[in-house]
Amino acid sequence: MTGALGTKAGRFKLLGLVVAIAAGWSVPYVFSNYQVSLTTLILISAMLATSINFMAGNVGLVSVGHAGIAATAGYGLAWSFAQGHGLGTQLLIALALTLVASFVFGLTSMRTSGIFFLMATLALGMVVFGLSYRMSAITGGENGLSGIRRPELFSSYWMYYFLVLVVFVVVTAAIWVVTRSPFGTALRGIRESESRMESLGYNVAAYKLGAMMISGVVAGIAGVLSVWLMEFVSPASAGFLRSALATLMVILGGVGTFLGPLTGATIVSWIEHVLSTYIERWPTVLGLIFIVVIVFAPDGIGGAVRAWWQGRRRRSDREVARSSGSAVSADMARSPGGSQGTAE
Amino acid sequence: MLLHRTYGQRRQIALVLGLILALVLSACAPSGADDPAEPETTEAPATTDAAPATTEGDSEPEEPTDTTEAEETSEGGTVVKVGFLSPVTGPLAAIGTEMKQGWELYWEEHGVDAGSYTVETVYEDDAGNPDTALTKARRLVEDENVDVVVGPLAANTALAVADYLVQQGVPNFHPVTAADDLTQRLANPLVIRVGAMTGSQATYVAGQWAYDQGYRKAITLCSDYAFGWENCGGFVRTFTAAGGEIVDQLWNPLGTPDFSSYATQIASSGADVAFIGSSGGTDGTNFMRAYEDFGLGDQIEVLGNCCLLDQATLRDAGDIAVGLRSVTYWAEGRESPEVERFIELYDEAYGGIPSLYVANSYTAAHVFAEALKASEGELDPEGLVAAAREVNLEDSVFGPRRIDEWNNPIGNVYITRVEQREDGSYWNVVEETYEEVSQFWTFDPQEILDSPPYDRTNTGQQ
Repeated sequence: MTGALGTKAGRFKLLGLVVAIAAGWSVPYVFSNYQVSLTTLILISAMLATSINFMAGNVGLVSVGHAGIAATAGYGLAWSFAQGHGLGTQLLIALALTLVASFVFGLTSMRTSGIFFLMATLALGMVVFGLSYRMSAITGGENGLSGIRRPELFSSYWMYYFLVLVVFVVVTAAIWVVTRSPFGTALRGIRESESRMESLGYNVAAYKLGAMMISGVVAGIAGVLSVWLMEFVSPASAGFLRSALATLMVILGGVGTFLGPLTGATIVSWIEHVLSTYIERWPTVLGLIFIVVIVFAPDGIGGAVRAWWQGRRRRSDREVARSSGSAVSADMARSPGGSQGTAE
Repeated sequence: MLLHRTYGQRRQIALVLGLILALVLSACAPSGADDPAEPETTEAPATTDAAPATTEGDSEPEEPTDTTEAEETSEGGTVVKVGFLSPVTGPLAAIGTEMKQGWELYWEEHGVDAGSYTVETVYEDDAGNPDTALTKARRLVEDENVDVVVGPLAANTALAVADYLVQQGVPNFHPVTAADDLTQRLANPLVIRVGAMTGSQATYVAGQWAYDQGYRKAITLCSDYAFGWENCGGFVRTFTAAGGEIVDQLWNPLGTPDFSSYATQIASSGADVAFIGSSGGTDGTNFMRAYEDFGLGDQIEVLGNCCLLDQATLRDAGDIAVGLRSVTYWAEGRESPEVERFIELYDEAYGGIPSLYVANSYTAAHVFAEALKASEGELDPEGLVAAAREVNLEDSVFGPRRIDEWNNPIGNVYITRVEQREDGSYWNVVEETYEEVSQFWTFDPQEILDSPPYDRTNTGQQ
C-alpha cells in the first residue's frame, strides 16, 4: 500500500482526478435527473467511505461506526431546520455535534487498535442509532424527521449535484494533502509500530485523536449532504447497515487508495439502487462480489486493476522483446512512466 | 502479495471484473440514458416532458419486472403507470412479499382494465430502508414516469417517500403503512391511506371494549417503536378516558427472542386485562410461546392487536392461540362472500389463508380501481386522490369502507377470536363488530391533532 505513493503513481492519480472531475462536471448535461441524483448519492457515499478510508489507510484502524457520526451531523442539521433556525445556525449545530461525536469516537481510538477499535466503533455507532431511535421528541424516533429542505440556491437537483461535486473534490484534495503531510507520515508510522513512534517522542494518542477528528469532520460533511439530498433523516441512517456498507465500499475499492472509496461507492450503490430493480437477490450479488474481491484481490478493485494492467504491459513487453522467462515481480517490470500504455 | 499472481489468477480476476462490469452495464442500460435533460430547462418537473414512447421502447426488452406487455395497452384504455414500492429483501421481506401478492392478486382477478384506464405496474424493492426507498421512488418518478406510487411499507420509508412525492406532485397511495401522522399531522391532499388503519385507530376500540367488559385494571405490552407506541396510545386513551386504570406499561424491543420476563411481569401485575400491541411476525410467535409456558391464559384476559394473532403467528402457534381475542380490522373468518372469495383466490394462487398485509394491498388495489372507474380523461394528481377519497365500498374484504377528509379509511373494527377450521388451520372469527370507526374515534379531531404524537412519554393517559 505504501508502495503506491511513488511519484508516477501520484501523477497518474492526479490525471485520473482531472479526468474524473471533467467527467463529473458533465454528468447533469448528459444524464437524466434520476441518474444525476444517483451520482450525487454515490459521491456522498464515497465521502463517508473516504472518512473511513483515511483512518483505515493511514492509522490502520477500520471503523464500522462512521455512519453514527454522519447521522449525528445530519440530525443536528435536520433538527435545527425543523426548529426554524437559519442556515448558519444549522451548520454550526451540525458541526458542533460532529465534533462532539468525533471526539467521543476519538477517545476510544486513542486507547484501542485493531479489532478492539472495530468493536468500539460498532458500539458507538449503535449508541447513536439507539439515541436517535429513543429520543423521539427530538429525532422523531423510528419515523424520522421529514420535510427538511435544502438552501434555496441548491434546491434544484443539478445545482445540488454541483455543490456535492465541489465539496467532494475539496474534501478529497484536503485528505490528500493531509495524507502527504508530516502529520500523515506520522500516522502511518503509528500504523506500522505504535511503540516505536512513542519511543521517538511522538504523542501517539494525540495523533490518533487528531486523525479521528479529521475523519469525523469528513463523515459529518457527508452526513449533512446526505440529509440535504434525501430531505429526510431517520435512525436507519445511523444503523449498522450504513456503516458496514461504507466500510465495504472502502474494502472493495482498496484500502488506502484515493479513488478506492469512489470505486467502492459506485459499485455498492449501483448494486443497491440499480441492480436491485432487475435482480431480486441483489444482496447475494453484493456478497458474492465481496467474497470474490477478498479472495482474488485483497487490495481491492483498484489494486487488482493496477496489477492486471501492469501484468498485461509486462507480457506485451516480453512478446515484443521475444523473450520468455519466469514471473518477474511487478515492481521490477514497471516501465518508465509517461506512456499512455501499450497499444493493441 | 498481489504482485506475485500467476497468469491464470490474473485471468480469473479479469474474468470476474468483466462479469461485474457486464452486470453493472446491463443494469444501467435502460431508462432514459439518452434523455437530453438540460439543467437549465428542468426547473419544472421533467417527468412529464420526457417522451414515453422512446424511453419505453428502449427499456422494454430488458425489464423482466414489467408485468404488462406494451401490446396490451394499445387495446385497453389510457395507460396508468403505477410504481409499486415494497421491501422484498431485508428484514421486512416476508411482509413486503405478501404486500406485493395482494396487489397482484387483485389485478389477476379483475384484469388490469379499470374504467377507461389500463393499469400497468412497475415493481421496485426498497429493502425497508428510507434511503433506498427514496432513491427508488426517484427512479419511478423520474425515469419510469409513473402516475402514482403505491407503498412503501415501513413508516419511516413511507414518510420519506410521501414527502418527496408531494414535492413532485405525484399521488401516493399507502396500502399497509399505519403511521398516524401520514393522515394526521402530516396529512396532504396527494397522500392517501387506502388499506390499513392508523396505528391507534383500531386500538381505540380495544380500550373501550375492555372497559365495557368490566375490566378496570390493565397492563400493556407494546413494541418499542412508533407503531407500538401508537397501538398502546389508542388503547390507553380510551381505557383511561372511560375510567380504567393502567397498572403498568411494558415495551419490548423489535425482535425480542424471549418474552418470559414480560410474561411473568404481566402475570404478577395484578391487572385483569393485558393488551398486547405486537409488531407481528416472529415477535407474535415468540410472545405466544411465553404465553403458553407461563400459563398466562389462566391468569389474565389477553387482548391482541391487529398483528399478534395474524396468520403469520397462527401458522406457527395456532393451537396455543385458540380462543384468544384480538382487536383488528382484518377478520379472515368473517362470514362474507367477499372474504370467502378472497381466501379461495389466495389459496389457489399462493396456498394458505391471506394475512393482513395481503388484504391491505388487495383493498388498496380495489379502492384504486374504483377511483379509476370514477375518473375520466387525463388524470390529474389531486383529482385521482379526490376520486379515491369518494370511493365507498359496501363490502370490501374489510367490510364497508369509506375515506375521511384526512384521506384515512373509516370502517369496521372487529373483536375476533381464534378458532380452528375443519382443515386444521386457524383463523380469527368475528365476535363483535364496531362500525364506522374513524381514526379519531369519538374524540375531537383537533384535540388529537394538537397533541404530540404517541410515544413512551406521551402514552395517551387521560
